[in-house]
Amino acid sequence: MMHNPSKVKQKILKKFIMGLRSCNSSHENLSVSERRRIIKLSADLALASVRNGSRRWSRAIIEEASRSPDNKGLVQQMLGSDGDNHLPGPIPWEGRSDRNGAGHVTKSKSVVAASSKKIVKRCRRVRRSNGRAPRRNEAASIAKRLVKKRTQLLKDFVPGGRDMDDVSLIEETLDYMVWLRAQVDVMRALACSLPTTSS
Amino acid sequence: MSSRSRSSRHQGSSRISDDQIVDLISKLRSLLPEIRNRRRSDKVSASKVLQETCNYIRNLHQEVDDLSERLSQLLQSIDPDSAEASIIRSLIM
Repeated sequence: MMHNPSKVKQKILKKFIMGLRSCNSSHENLSVSERRRIIKLSADLALASVRNGSRRWSRAIIEEASRSPDNKGLVQQMLGSDGDNHLPGPIPWEGRSDRNGAGHVTKSKSVVAASSKKIVKRCRRVRRSNGRAPRRNEAASIAKRLVKKRTQLLKDFVPGGRDMDDVSLIEETLDYMVWLRAQVDVMRALACSLPTTSS
Repeated sequence: MSSRSRSSRHQGSSRISDDQIVDLISKLRSLLPEIRNRRRSDKVSASKVLQETCNYIRNLHQEVDDLSERLSQLLQSIDPDSAEASIIRSLIM
């Protein structure tokens, strides 16, 4: 899935630094929160650009970032030097304004817990009316519904997941997990290498 | 993987097939520490694997946020023209 992890991380770091430098040079008096936002965006875009648009999650990150006018400069700078990194194609994004970051969850655990309770309640009702319904089928249908619910949850975590069918979602997830891990490793390595002396 | 599983005839409504679940479980098992460290006694349920996957990705997103915060504070105290900045630059190029 990742042939040469250290080489990949070097590329990510290089792109990441590119974004960070633009953050330092052009904006002298950034607030901590704004700087944090740009740092996170630089890291996400570094990951997406190194993955080179061959995966929908990486294209989704870029598309998501490009929608905000504040980000145009950074997107241009980080992706522009390599030419058009992402494949053209119809992205059905219109009207989706309920996300403020690539892949961030908006549902809480209580939603999943409530859904699970509903499933169990529904099955209890079935049992009462059927009397002799075999338990194995109930367990199987519970399991299937739980898989469906969890798959829906997963769509919120993977960039672009909401527009994927279940098959693509799993493939994208497997890829995204590995690369996201690399992004975290790069960020942590950089954070650990910077001097911590106070001003 | 059978060709049938690759067709997207039922876009958006296709369910995960059993083959894919088995495939996914084996791949995720190698990626997820929580499942990898378990005893390989029984099959791990698909819903459990999906749940662990969501947790894993969510935790990584949280780490990204935390590290962005940390980097934000660290970078604030670095002079871009300083020796540290040029060292970092030279290490990358």
